[in-house]
Amino acid sequence: MNALLRRLLLVEWSGILAAIILGSALLAWLSPAFLTEFNIYVMLRSFCVALLIGFAQMVTLAVGQMNISVGALGGLVAVLAGGMMEKMGVPLAVAIPVAIAIGAFCGLLNGILTERTGINGFIITLATASAFTGINLGITQSIPFYDMPPALVAFGSDRFFAFPYLLIAPIIVTILLGIFLSRTIPGRQLLAVGGNPHAAELSGISRGRITVLAHTLSGALAATAAILAVAQLGSAQPTIGSDWLLLSFAAPIIGGAALTGGHVSVLGTTLAVILIALIENGMVLAKVDPYWVQFVLGALILAAVWLNRWRAVTTGTD
Amino acid sequence: MTDETIIKERSRPGFIAGASAQIGLLAIVAVLWLVFSTLAPGFTSPINLFGIGRSLAVDIVIGFSQMVVLATGGMNLAVGSIGVCAVMATGFLLQDAGMPVPIALAGGLLLGAALGWLNGFAIVKTGVNAFIITLASASLFLGAMLILTKAVPYNALPPEIGQFGRMRIGGYVSPLLFIAIAIGVALFILYRHTLLGRQILAAGANPRAAEMSGVPVGRVIIISHTLSGLLAATAGMMLVARLGAAMPSVGGEDWLLPSFLGPVLGGTLLAGGSVAVIGTMIGAALVTTIRSGLLVLQVGNFWLQLFLGLILLAAVMADRYRGIFLERRSMGRK
Amino acid sequence: MRLSSDKIRGFAASSILAGFAASFGAMGIAQASDNKIALIPGGPHPYFAPWEQAAADAQKDFGIAAVDFKVPQEWKLNLQTELVESLAAQGYTAFGIFPGDAVGINSTLTELKDSSIPSAALAGCAQDPTDAAFCLGTDVYNSAYIGTKELIKAMGGKGAIVHLAGLLVDPNTTLRVKAVETAVAETNGEVTLLQTVADTDAQEAADQKINALLAAQKDEIGGMIATGYIPSVVASKSLRTLGDKRIKFIGIDDDQIVLEAIKDGFVSGTMAQNPYGQGYIGAYVLDLIASGSCTVKEDAVWIETPQTKRFIDSGTLVINADNLSTYKDDLKKVTTDIQSNFKDKYLNCQ
Repeated sequence: MNALLRRLLLVEWSGILAAIILGSALLAWLSPAFLTEFNIYVMLRSFCVALLIGFAQMVTLAVGQMNISVGALGGLVAVLAGGMMEKMGVPLAVAIPVAIAIGAFCGLLNGILTERTGINGFIITLATASAFTGINLGITQSIPFYDMPPALVAFGSDRFFAFPYLLIAPIIVTILLGIFLSRTIPGRQLLAVGGNPHAAELSGISRGRITVLAHTLSGALAATAAILAVAQLGSAQPTIGSDWLLLSFAAPIIGGAALTGGHVSVLGTTLAVILIALIENGMVLAKVDPYWVQFVLGALILAAVWLNRWRAVTTGTD
Repeated sequence: MTDETIIKERSRPGFIAGASAQIGLLAIVAVLWLVFSTLAPGFTSPINLFGIGRSLAVDIVIGFSQMVVLATGGMNLAVGSIGVCAVMATGFLLQDAGMPVPIALAGGLLLGAALGWLNGFAIVKTGVNAFIITLASASLFLGAMLILTKAVPYNALPPEIGQFGRMRIGGYVSPLLFIAIAIGVALFILYRHTLLGRQILAAGANPRAAEMSGVPVGRVIIISHTLSGLLAATAGMMLVARLGAAMPSVGGEDWLLPSFLGPVLGGTLLAGGSVAVIGTMIGAALVTTIRSGLLVLQVGNFWLQLFLGLILLAAVMADRYRGIFLERRSMGRK
Repeated sequence: MRLSSDKIRGFAASSILAGFAASFGAMGIAQASDNKIALIPGGPHPYFAPWEQAAADAQKDFGIAAVDFKVPQEWKLNLQTELVESLAAQGYTAFGIFPGDAVGINSTLTELKDSSIPSAALAGCAQDPTDAAFCLGTDVYNSAYIGTKELIKAMGGKGAIVHLAGLLVDPNTTLRVKAVETAVAETNGEVTLLQTVADTDAQEAADQKINALLAAQKDEIGGMIATGYIPSVVASKSLRTLGDKRIKFIGIDDDQIVLEAIKDGFVSGTMAQNPYGQGYIGAYVLDLIASGSCTVKEDAVWIETPQTKRFIDSGTLVINADNLSTYKDDLKKVTTDIQSNFKDKYLNCQ
């Protein structure tokens, strides 16, 4: 059983890994700047927020749900955290846990609404997304909070050689999430419910509770992404999160998650985010004409998916 | 779940249940109209009604372009990209190539259908999820449009196009609304009275079962995506008329939300196998009504989005509980 | 706010600007009008924040029934046009609009004109042919051109520059790209345009792209020019992080982050615009036109730009270390100058 699982995992992300290696080799050959310390730092830094966004969507996909409000929730948490620190003078050590708690609470709200009403989570989160954005704009009137604690800003931009300190957060989250999904009972229940809700319910797992759990987790992850975005940008911008939605789906799905639930991969999502960061970085390095950027991005995503698919078909693990 | 829906769609009692869900949604829209027109007299002024009708017309067709793909259990994230490609193609044919209006419009629609076909073909041939294919193709189509047009808008179109968009029938009805309704009628007939329509729904409900009972599932999916492209292009043409210009900034990701809102509020299942043509129209009407009503009520500038979300939430929940209530009552009777 | 507008109407002038208004009014009472004027930006954006104050000041200073600052929920054309239509339905009599989309707004302006509601393009222009009465704003082409010239000067007349541009689908971006290219071409090869990085209008995208750019080519780049608000802020921050004062940078607008970077020497300068003046003067002129007492003079000495034939410059000036503390006064002076001469220069009044 374990061996089979490992083999499946291998197939799943090997296509993306190949694309990453090929892409890196090509870029290193094309542009001498690619492997410089500063560029590696830039890439790693842009990878941090994107990964957490991908995870935030991945956990809802795991139970066969969607969270359309990831970006809106993230934006709200970002300005609330910013507002707490700038206007109310809340210290960083308090503001961060409170902000994550707010994110988790917003996610809880999504989960409870979805579970209690029995309405598709897609619609519920579509509506709450609008509400979250509304609160965000109402509070900020679209004017950012600028005065962030220097420690947070330093955390967002300082580095140890090519290693941005910002990266510490996603590494911890990745490890915790990996352990949660594979080693803990609620984590396994999450996947069981997504894979086969009826069977899971028959074996005594509360489907409703697990749905709420997934949404809460998604909210907390989106909130963490928002705080990292604030650290990275050095100010709490109300526009944070406005362009997260497509990325949030693209990363887990390219990483092998099924939209129907029950099947997600932490490693796959991580590799997918690396690939996306690589593509975006490569576009600038290779001085691609701005009019071509969109086109090439689409073509590369398609190629990565196709490669992944081809591996799956040829190894017979369709 | 999905199998039940299909059976319901075909049998008489199911048809009534479906219609009653739409009546419920319609009732919510009616209540909102009553509230808004009482609270804000400007709501029913001709200029506002005209504005509502015109936005509604475009949103309905955008909703349809998503609905026809949802019917197969897929998604089309490229609706906006296809729309803007068709818009720019029409602009090019009119302004640079000097084509007469009907040919230019046909050209735009044809391009939309072709791009939709491409999506469907790629999905069926590769077997990759429609979500991913259209995510990538949305980027490809938009990119190709930018490369070819350099993002320069066409704003010297024949004046009759802009005049058509501003035309008011009886003082407050836009002709665009009739186009949207006509498309709705055609789609209604397609899904309820033709073999192809039934095949599409069967393929969406359970592709394996449909394949076994002789439905050409692959072909049906390709046809649905082609139709989706055609409808997206139609919505694009309507915007060209409305704006009197062909611009690279219409469509794109902006269409994503309205494309899902109408069909899903109207009762189309994301899982496939069902469509709600009239529901999509009422769903779009609900969203347009809320948006316009809040504008007329002059809810504080920045808080408007919050109220939009809350009312949307209230509307879907009211509809849901009405449904549950009806279900319980009918079960009690049995 | 709206409730108290009637009380405000009678209020005597208190600011210097109001003094100007009163000095016009040989007719005195004619200044107090029943017009309801809406000032509408393209979407939520910090650039337009001064419009709220401008609207309130204009309402008070010129005795207009209402001047309201109304913001579309998102930066989308259809939301802006729906807002305009809805306000027209509620009896607003004139509109000052920032065309979030220079071409797309025109059909709405035509409809307003059909209903005899005047409109003007503020802060940025609508693309001709347009029914906007006039355009009072920043000449985007000129601003980008002057900015590039300024940058080339700061670089000592030679080197390679990078242009950080906004949304590619925005027609204004096309104009700015042309302006930068023209300014570069005029150096006869002394200065080269290394790269144009577009779609930097979102915080996170800008951060990613600009940092990647600096990572790749910081040794080749002699200077950078940003023609959008957000890339300007992000680039100022990146240059500070990098600690590199060799790369010259000209931004746009006066965001706090940019101003501080100028003060500390990481940024050479920024192109100031005059949002307050645009809103204030715009409301003043729209009131005159909507009251029917004035019409726009066809043969006035308009500035002709690539976008429109009826342009009035609301003032573009370069903020650098020298005028950092005084530029706001300079802009205020520009505002009063334009406002006090407007009637004579651009209007036919009874």
